[in-house]
Parts: sequence; C-alpha cells; structure tokens
Amino acid sequence: MTRVALLSIALLSLPAMSAPAEPPPSASRAGAPRGAPLSGPELDARTDEVGALLRCPVCQGLSVSDSPSSMARNMKAEVRDKLAAGYDQEQILADFEHSYGEFVRLKPTLRGVNWLVWFGPLLALIAGAALIASKLKRSGSGPDALPAPRSAAAVDVPDRGTLPDDPRLAEAMRRVRELAYGWPGGVPPKAGASA
Amino acid sequence: MPTAASSEAAPPRSSRINKRVLVAGAAIVLPLIAVLVANLGRDPHMVRSPLVGRPAPPFSLQPVGGGAPVRLESFRGKPLVINFWATWCVPCFEEHPALTAAARGLPDVQFLGVVYEDEEARTQAFLKERSSAYPSVMDPDGRTAIAYGVFGVPETFFIDAEGRIVEKFVGPLQRSTIAELVARARGGRP
Repeated sequence: MTRVALLSIALLSLPAMSAPAEPPPSASRAGAPRGAPLSGPELDARTDEVGALLRCPVCQGLSVSDSPSSMARNMKAEVRDKLAAGYDQEQILADFEHSYGEFVRLKPTLRGVNWLVWFGPLLALIAGAALIASKLKRSGSGPDALPAPRSAAAVDVPDRGTLPDDPRLAEAMRRVRELAYGWPGGVPPKAGASA
Repeated sequence: MPTAASSEAAPPRSSRINKRVLVAGAAIVLPLIAVLVANLGRDPHMVRSPLVGRPAPPFSLQPVGGGAPVRLESFRGKPLVINFWATWCVPCFEEHPALTAAARGLPDVQFLGVVYEDEEARTQAFLKERSSAYPSVMDPDGRTAIAYGVFGVPETFFIDAEGRIVEKFVGPLQRSTIAELVARARGGRP
C-alpha cells in the first residue's frame, strides 16, 4: 500500500512539475476568424454545442446552453454572433477564458494541475484495485472462504394442513378452509387421507 | 502472562500500521494543506481576474439619458475606475455615496458606471434621486460585462493611465478602499 501511495503521488506530481507557469497562447484575444461563417440550423446547433462547453458564471454548475439566466442568454448570443462571423470553437472558448479565466470552461484543458482532474480518478481506481488485490492475496482466501449461501430448500414452508395451537383459531381456520376451498371439515383432501 | 505476551507483540505491529496510515494520510492531507496555505491571507473580495495586468477591453456605450457614445480610449491618460452596477442591487445602493464622494474628491481620476442588466428609465430615476458625480453608461446586451468577466454586481475595475487593469474589486466599496486602489492605479502596475 505504501508503494501504491508513493507511486500515485509521484505520478500525480509529474505533470504539475513540468507544467509551464505562463498562460497558454490560446488565451489571447481571438484574432481573425479561423472557420467558415455559419448560418441557419447549423448555426443553432453549433451555438448549443459551444454553449454546452461554457460555464454560466452566475449559476451552480450549469452550462450556458442549459441556464435560463440573462447572463447565460447574453453569453449565448455572443457565441452565436462569433460563430456567425466564422470564429471556431477554440477561438470562442479562448475569448471567454480571457475574461473569466479557465473557470469558464466546463471541460478543462489537459495542462498543469488539470491532469489530476482527468487522470486522478483513474489512478485512484487502479490504486484501489491494487490495494484490494494485495489484501485478498495476503489473506489467502478464495471465494470458498465466503459463507455458503442458504439454499432455498432450507426455508420452512408450513404444510397446507397446518393449524395453529390455539383451538379457537384452529377451529376458525378449519371453517375458513371449508368455505374457501370446499374441503370437508377444513381438512385438505390429501392430508386428510394420510391422517 | 497473557498481558505480558500481548505487550511484547504489540509494538512492532502498531508501528507498522502507523507508518502506512501516516503515508496514506499525508498523501491526502498534504495537498489540502498546501492549497490552504497558498490561499491564506487572500482577501476574498480581491478576485484574481485573468484581466488584471492586461489592457482593459475596449467598449463604446451609450450614456444614460442619451448623448454621444462613451469610449474607453477617450479616458486614456488618467486613471479610470469602472463600476458595474444596477438599481436592483442593494450593495450598489450602499456603495453609491462612497463612489460619488471619491469622484468629487479625486478630480484627476475618471469614474464611470456601467449599468448591468437594468432599464434606462429606472437608472435615470435612480441617478436623479441621488446625486452622482460621474457618468453612467448602458450595457444593454451585457457584452461589456462579459468582456470584463463580470460575475455579478457590484464589481469595480481600477485602470491605470495606459489603459491597463490594475485591480478588480468584487462587492461594495468603501471610501478607504477606493483611495487605496486608486493609488495603485496611479502608480501604474501593482
């Protein structure tokens, strides 16, 4: 376990150490449009797609496409205008990032500490699996060590002719059985034959 | 006898467990402490905007009550304080006297209000009711607010004479804070 912990620390700190401190070049204001101007249904669809990648700054974890707030509507209108002018997705996201910081991206880019976000859970899963595997190996117990499941046959099913000990209750049940099933005297035919 | 046996056997076992727990605990706790230490002493109102240290985004906005559009470039050459506000915002209402007093007391500094998601008529009534010492402009589709990375109101940007954002302040301003941040805008880069 110590080895696993040390390994995960080392792995996680690797990209953080090698990450450049300066902001990426894409954080500059969008220059000339890099894509083709969009219009019609394609523009609507792309507006929704790009809006889904932008965090609404005034909401709790909602994208610009999903939020009904006026700020999100304004941002969506800006996305639409930029797509119509021919700016591509990365240019638009970078432009919003320039104002709001990386916070505004709902899908963080693969750089610096973000490696943790992308690969941390996977590493934790692998470390957890390794831990469980080593524990199982050490205890040396396979599946046979588990308690045997109770078979269904072991459960007691009362015989249909069974009667309670209380004579009054027993009498009542006999009458009910006679009425309900037509058994003479409330005794099941087979049980009655064997009795 | 059994007590003696267990006390003899216990130390190596417990020290082994402690070492493992220590490593696992440190792996979890140390990064958290690092984040805490890195952010200690930070004023939560001093939000680190990616725009701080960069040129202020340009704009051309209509003043409240009409007139020629107000452009950012026209303020070049003296410190500028841009206050994003709205009449529906209570903290904006609270900071209004401080901003007005500061604008009157600092004639070499330009103050500008940018109205955020509000109606012009209501803004005009508000400004008529309470005196104001500086112009306010309308930002009808919120484009300027977005360009400045505004999350809500009030937010105030302190811009130096070269048009570079020196500081961003979130929340209602007080007279002393305005003076302090204006001094930074006067001194150029922080």
